[in-house]
Amino acid sequence: MTRPRPALIGHRARFTLSCYGLLLVPLALLTLFVYVPVMWAFTKSLFQFEVGGASRFIGLDNYVEFITRDPTTIPSFLNMLFLTLFAVCTRLSIPLILAKLIHALASERARYFYRVLFLIPVLVPGVAVQLIWAGMIYRDRGMLNEALRAVGLDTLVTGWLSDPSTALVAVAFVGFPFVGGFEVLIYYAGLSSIPQSVTEAAAIEGCVGLQKFFRIDIPMVLSQLKLILILTIIGGVQGFQGIFIMTRGGPGFKTTVPGLWMYFNAFSFQRMGYACAIGVCLFAVIFGLTILNMRYFKSTEELVGRR
Amino acid sequence: MRRVRNGAMHLVVAAVAALTLLPFVFVLNNSFRTNSEIYHSFFGLPNALKDMAQAGGAALRGRETAFPVDAGNGDIIAAAPDEALARFGAIAVKGYRMAWRVIRPYMLNTFFVCAVTVLGVGLLGSMSAYVLSRYRFPGSKAVFIYIVSTMMFPGVLTLVPSFLLVKQLGLLNTYWAMILPYIAGGQVFATFVFKSFFDGLPEDLFESARIDGAGHFQIYVNLVVPLSKPVLAVVMIMNILSTWNNFLWPFITNIDGRHHVIASGLYVLATSPHASNMSTLFAAYMASSVPLLLLFIYATKPFIQGVTSGAFKA
Repeated sequence: MTRPRPALIGHRARFTLSCYGLLLVPLALLTLFVYVPVMWAFTKSLFQFEVGGASRFIGLDNYVEFITRDPTTIPSFLNMLFLTLFAVCTRLSIPLILAKLIHALASERARYFYRVLFLIPVLVPGVAVQLIWAGMIYRDRGMLNEALRAVGLDTLVTGWLSDPSTALVAVAFVGFPFVGGFEVLIYYAGLSSIPQSVTEAAAIEGCVGLQKFFRIDIPMVLSQLKLILILTIIGGVQGFQGIFIMTRGGPGFKTTVPGLWMYFNAFSFQRMGYACAIGVCLFAVIFGLTILNMRYFKSTEELVGRR
Repeated sequence: MRRVRNGAMHLVVAAVAALTLLPFVFVLNNSFRTNSEIYHSFFGLPNALKDMAQAGGAALRGRETAFPVDAGNGDIIAAAPDEALARFGAIAVKGYRMAWRVIRPYMLNTFFVCAVTVLGVGLLGSMSAYVLSRYRFPGSKAVFIYIVSTMMFPGVLTLVPSFLLVKQLGLLNTYWAMILPYIAGGQVFATFVFKSFFDGLPEDLFESARIDGAGHFQIYVNLVVPLSKPVLAVVMIMNILSTWNNFLWPFITNIDGRHHVIASGLYVLATSPHASNMSTLFAAYMASSVPLLLLFIYATKPFIQGVTSGAFKA
């Protein structure tokens, strides 16, 4: 810019070009590894093909089969619904209550200690956690059964993940008591950002304890609740890693979820087009739920702003 | 009254913490026990440790004992302290040594993939954020929208087509199958975070640097990068965390199994014949968390910041 030199193209255009030059690599990577797969998800869902095999255009047949004919669709969506609702209920309540308790502790040092302590489970890879639950807690001679035997409740002893009547609930309870994640810290941050003036005003009005929790704290952390709600729903609809590791959808189809079914179709049955169609359907579900969430779940700022 | 309430809250929080950490405590405990011990009784300290405590206790009490103490029927009640220690060491180390032998390649792969990914994400993310934040040029808004729009697409939509793409590019069974998509996806969040940070920097700062004769590149290296260190730390930590935890993608793209990272490697280990030896398995679970634990100890503050602050508000 500082060295004037006769240019073929204008100064302005050269500047623009150099900006795009810097953005070239990021945008190329983004296009190739994100946008191309997104496009392919839609286009390939219209074909029937195996990897390396010939593909045949079949229109919307994959979608029609998944929605109307596939016998696993309804049970797997019901499983997904149960797991997601369970996750939403637990992730919106327990970590919030815990964050409130930690936040209300008198000593600053204790508050910091607990915040750090509850972050430790995040450091254990998710796979390890799921393998620990399947291989140590739920197994036949595992922690849960041995604890039940120790207190004389032998009748309750069962193969938690292999018993059709308990498998789904057992999967839902992985991670109990559901506080070893980001949620506690996020709620804690929300509670910390409540202005002192609000708390004082509430105290003067005689609003303390439980009443304060419901009337002041919860409305003030709505943004955080909204965030966790969206993240939990998205995770619930698309997540299948834990189920893949612990039960592979079994016994029977008792713990199969649509994402897992997509995985099996793609990588076990070689039905790539069908798997893409399932992926698109799940994307539609996530997209719709996120829009609903944005529209009907008002965060604190939006509520205050409307007044 | 207030003190009682505070104490009660402490108690509840501590109980929840104990319940949360309990499985990990048992994993740690059982990583020091032999298979037969675990099968014999699940709850219980490692026999070798008990031996050692007993021997140590006896020695401490100054009892003039001739080790090993015999129960009269040939069962050894207490071994000599040095012997007990050696036995404990042998069992403890055995599980971890076996585990390490299996997971070492996975660990090294993870380190490599993580390092390249996090460098790429940090570099590309801060660079495009800098360009988009400080310069106005035709289409800059559209480019930003093009980048952040990708947050809308969930992994479940792109999993299968991404596999097809990576396969078509001939990248299966290579590190690039992981690194390139990780950078491509990870830079989005990084760009977003960096841009909101750069947007908040006062223009005067850049103005004065320019008056001092600094060029674009100099401004980027000498001003922007040092200023954005805290943000960079947050971005890098979040990226390491997600790369470290990603299981499915490395699992799918490593058909020959030579480039497994720790997450997919643990699953491979748990479904392999090695898994019949539980102390190996448990030792591997513990070992797989150590690098992240060290990172966490080293950088607690940006870690907590990353998890809580605006970082997550997509």
